[in-house]
Amino acid sequence: MRNKINLWTITTIAALVLEGWALYVVSLSPAHWRSSMIVKDEPAAHALYDKMIETMRQAESLSYQSVCSGPDDRDRASTYNILLKKPNYFHVEMSNVLSGYSTIVGDGDNLWFYWKGVRPFSAYEDKDSYEKTRANVYIKKATPIGRYSIRDQVNLLGTTWFGIILDPSIFHGHTDSLETYIDGIRSRGTDYAENEECEVIEVSFMKAQLTRYFWISKQDHLLWKIKEIVRLANNKVEVEEFSDISLNAVISQQKFSWSPPEGWQQWEKPGPDDFLLKPGTKAPDFELLSADGGKIKLSDYRGKIIWLYIWQCGSPSCREAMPHLQKLSEKYKDRGLVILGFNCADDKRIAKNFMRENSVTFPNILDSSHTAGKVIFDGYKNRSGTVPLSYIIDTRGNVVDAWSGYEEDNKRALAALKQAGIQPE
Amino acid sequence: MRAYELIKETFCRKIYILIIHLSWLSLYGGFWWLFLPMGNEFGQFIFIWGGFFLALALSAGIFGDDISSGRICVLVTKPFWPGELYIYRLLGLSLQAAVHFILAWCVIFILHTFIRQGSMNGLVLWLFASWLLFNTCAALSTSLSVVVGRAYNALLLLIVIITGFVVVGTMMAYLKQHSETEALLVSYFRFVCPPFEMLYKFAGGEYGKYSLTVGRFSLAKSVACVVHSLILTVVYSIVGIVLLSRRQFSSRRD
Repeated sequence: MRNKINLWTITTIAALVLEGWALYVVSLSPAHWRSSMIVKDEPAAHALYDKMIETMRQAESLSYQSVCSGPDDRDRASTYNILLKKPNYFHVEMSNVLSGYSTIVGDGDNLWFYWKGVRPFSAYEDKDSYEKTRANVYIKKATPIGRYSIRDQVNLLGTTWFGIILDPSIFHGHTDSLETYIDGIRSRGTDYAENEECEVIEVSFMKAQLTRYFWISKQDHLLWKIKEIVRLANNKVEVEEFSDISLNAVISQQKFSWSPPEGWQQWEKPGPDDFLLKPGTKAPDFELLSADGGKIKLSDYRGKIIWLYIWQCGSPSCREAMPHLQKLSEKYKDRGLVILGFNCADDKRIAKNFMRENSVTFPNILDSSHTAGKVIFDGYKNRSGTVPLSYIIDTRGNVVDAWSGYEEDNKRALAALKQAGIQPE
Repeated sequence: MRAYELIKETFCRKIYILIIHLSWLSLYGGFWWLFLPMGNEFGQFIFIWGGFFLALALSAGIFGDDISSGRICVLVTKPFWPGELYIYRLLGLSLQAAVHFILAWCVIFILHTFIRQGSMNGLVLWLFASWLLFNTCAALSTSLSVVVGRAYNALLLLIVIITGFVVVGTMMAYLKQHSETEALLVSYFRFVCPPFEMLYKFAGGEYGKYSLTVGRFSLAKSVACVVHSLILTVVYSIVGIVLLSRRQFSSRRD
């Protein structure tokens, strides 16, 4: 009888321990897993990564097809047929369900972006101007060798669910803007991609805010697949798969020339600043969750000059700006300036860690709810989701100036603060 | 021998059980044939139909019918421990489901080979998750059958779960601004109720986003999901066994 009781007691305790462990593991936030994803550099894996970049840069020509999709979301995939040639030629054909067919041609000096039929409507333009420019238009931009990014051009248009991960401009000598934020590169063994035997390497950026896995062919060091994980409030996973890869093949020069047919007009894509609230407009009030767990109401700061700063951990510019903002906050807080950070994209724990690492003490909204997203998208008209984004709001709650991006000298910010009533030194 | 008879009885007790199995299998086949879904979409379909609805259909009146007819008095006489009856019946349901999911895989495999379209990627994981969900739901429904007469246990569970989803969904929408209350409620429903969300994420490879991303899913988190689901099945069963052991049954028909 006693043995039976002992057996039951042991079994119950074991089950409770097991369940406790299971609940602990299941309820761990993505941020916990993120810290374990920061990669320590392995020289051999790093050399493999460099070799892959080098192989792309050494080639005279390169062509491939890339399919970008979610891991289980092939229906919304985008297909890119890419032709690259030295010194500065490229031809990219893009197709997906959302935006139909579009083409970018780089003729050596300029890029030409045009659509077959009607161009797609992007969320951050108004209906009237779209109606006027929806057909027979093209974009033209200068392409100085190694100083432009094809990926940025494709992705900035915002008409795909899944943009390119590997920047084709690397072939022309361009350096990926994230390169300086690599934590480390390590090997993850071998795997097959499209029946090609590959070495898999893992690269983490910005303390694993972003991780990329590269499937590199053992045979010729060309890339066959990339998987990217962006760790925000909701983690985003995207896969880019390559096929029909051809290195140093002859590509007709005709592919790299295009001129607009008669009657077509040049179109300037509206920039993120074009939609922001204009000076003099009332800044919309809101009440949202703060970093310390309380609530922040914008109108509670009435009588102070507010620099509303919308940021995100994954943006290199935001990371660069944060220490400078902290200094400015300390310098001007006695003169009536409140810098109010606003982050509605990141997991709260990730954002808090980032603030701690940068010794940020100014108030911050950390709220990834739908309401917070609406405040930024509809209230403050950040239709393009650009970060960093700044609003200077005067003592009466009116917008003095608004702009996107970060300037190291804070020229525009200081001018706006002066206009709002703060005398910079 | 007794165990075998009791397990066999869960399959043979009603003719409609065989019909349910056959119609469910043809439903899977029909869904595949008509819509040619990708692995995950089909997995979601089988997860709900096989993991939840099949559990309700097979466990309907599993004890309630015997209690209502008075047959239970014959079954739970000494030296027969009532818990044994419960365990073997639940085991019978679980084994039926295991065979059912293996047959489902065979049906899809044959169709896949025949029409050479669609994808079976990740299907095995979805079938495994469906089986785990089946066990949890079957245990809950079987325990409910001890206290609810005839075959109303399945109907009651269906209504409670659908109402629960609607109420919780509405509450979550209202509680968006009260993150702590929302988190508390979410934890309660995640860990105490049948693990729909957890197993759904487990089968869909959701946890893979956070750790072993080259592989399909994170081992630690996936093992935790399976462990939690099995322990929940045991907890629901213990409640049912206690209820069955303590109830006084009448040999008279309702």
